Amino acid sequence: MNVVLKRKIEGMVAISLSTLAALFGLFWLVFILGDVLYNGISALNLDLFLNDPAPAGVDGGGLRNAFAGQLLITLFATLIGVPIGVLGGTFLAEYARGKGISKVIGVLSDIMVSVPSIVIGTFVYAILVRPLGHFNGWAGSIALAIIMIPVVLRTTEDMLSMVPWTLREAAFALGAPYYKVIIQVVYRGAASGILTGIILSIARVAGETAPLLFTSFNNAYFSVNMNQPVSSLTVTIFQYAMGPYDSWHTQAWAAAFVITVFVLILTIAGRLIIKWRYK
Amino acid sequence: MPETFEIEVNNLNFYYSGTVHALKKINLTIRKNAITALIGPSGCGKTTLLRCFNRMHDLYPKNLYEGEILFQGINILTPDTDLINLRSRIGMVFQKPTPFPMSVFDNVAYGLKLKGMKKRAELSENVEKALHHAALWDEVKDKLHSSAYDLSGGQQQRLVIARALAVNPEVLLFDEPTSALDPISTAKIEELSQTLKNDVTIIIVTHNMQQAARISDWTGFLMLGELIEFDSTQKMFTSPSIKLTEDYITGRFG
Repeated sequence: MNVVLKRKIEGMVAISLSTLAALFGLFWLVFILGDVLYNGISALNLDLFLNDPAPAGVDGGGLRNAFAGQLLITLFATLIGVPIGVLGGTFLAEYARGKGISKVIGVLSDIMVSVPSIVIGTFVYAILVRPLGHFNGWAGSIALAIIMIPVVLRTTEDMLSMVPWTLREAAFALGAPYYKVIIQVVYRGAASGILTGIILSIARVAGETAPLLFTSFNNAYFSVNMNQPVSSLTVTIFQYAMGPYDSWHTQAWAAAFVITVFVLILTIAGRLIIKWRYK
Repeated sequence: MPETFEIEVNNLNFYYSGTVHALKKINLTIRKNAITALIGPSGCGKTTLLRCFNRMHDLYPKNLYEGEILFQGINILTPDTDLINLRSRIGMVFQKPTPFPMSVFDNVAYGLKLKGMKKRAELSENVEKALHHAALWDEVKDKLHSSAYDLSGGQQQRLVIARALAVNPEVLLFDEPTSALDPISTAKIEELSQTLKNDVTIIIVTHNMQQAARISDWTGFLMLGELIEFDSTQKMFTSPSIKLTEDYITGRFG
């Protein structure tokens, strides 16, 4: 067999295998999304957003408490996680640039990204739930914030590093102190990238269940008191899907649909910002 | 009456990271309201020397200066030199245009705002003056509030010059300001430098010997970190006293 033909065959095999793998992955993705769409849309109705849950086994009612709780927990997680992540990333990319500590924190942060979220949930349970004696919303927000921080930190670091060094020198050459160089010039140059990282990190935590199961738990009633258990969509889905009632299953589908669409919108928004900035 | 020197460099040694001896015993004088060109082959230290004048090397750890640079009689290499003040008196323009990611107006106003200027009217007036000064006003007066990145490379470079001029510096350092530009933009900047020298002292690093010959009054030739010869541009390009200079200028090497 001649060499050219051999290479062509090898190329064909490689293309076929990778195409098959991609199709295999895509199949399940479409399957899951399709299933959620199909079952979710039919379960959607206005009551879902306006009413609180009906007593177990009784038809009707909604998930107003879970929607509100989910937004509240995610909002506070963002308020806690984003500043820490952005400032940490700034430290790594600017003040500790090229230093050993920057690499150590970078690696630790990468490890944090891959820690199973349930581990973070149990950790927060140990420090913020057990000592207080009850589940609470703050613990949920902090657990989600801990998951967000390394994601935001790494994107911030990467985006700041992409801002050309000469731009900083130009600002220094005008007599700017370092903090002004960072805030007024470097952040502006990296703004869309950092924003994308933040949006994607919100999308990442919005779908988390395990950390909330151990922290904010669930609340059958409408409550915005962060010192008490707060309901969330993901934990509600978990409970309702496991429950014995058909009405629960339907509402779980609807909740799954809403949160999927929410995460999808955030992710697409994140991608669009990247595209718009780097076209 | 003795000639007035804006800058005097005395026995300047410079070490990158404290070990790499990049400038060796440099002595030269920069005259006020003149253009001084620094030429020499790549890696000769001309940019390194330029970046000593505004202490740019201080941004990186362990860089070490020895000797003195007198700016209007005061040594600027002392540790207590106020770098923020120094850099607002000695501006710099880089090889590649470095507009900030903001509007044309905000770019030029940046240095003014750093100096504490806040009033809109005062800012507008100074921005316009600087843009006129950099021969850019007519081209950008209708797009002051659009992104500086929308300008062409040559316009961006003049914008950066306007930004440096806005804070009324006494000296401007040009680090190969035209090497990334087309011939027409280059001509505009060379022309501009001739009018600028009425107000500021210019030190320019260039790879382009014709450029040095065209625009400068004084020329220094560096090689391997040493200043080989320093004289009036006319003398340097017609009858240099050192053979090495002649060889470089006539293109025998480098």
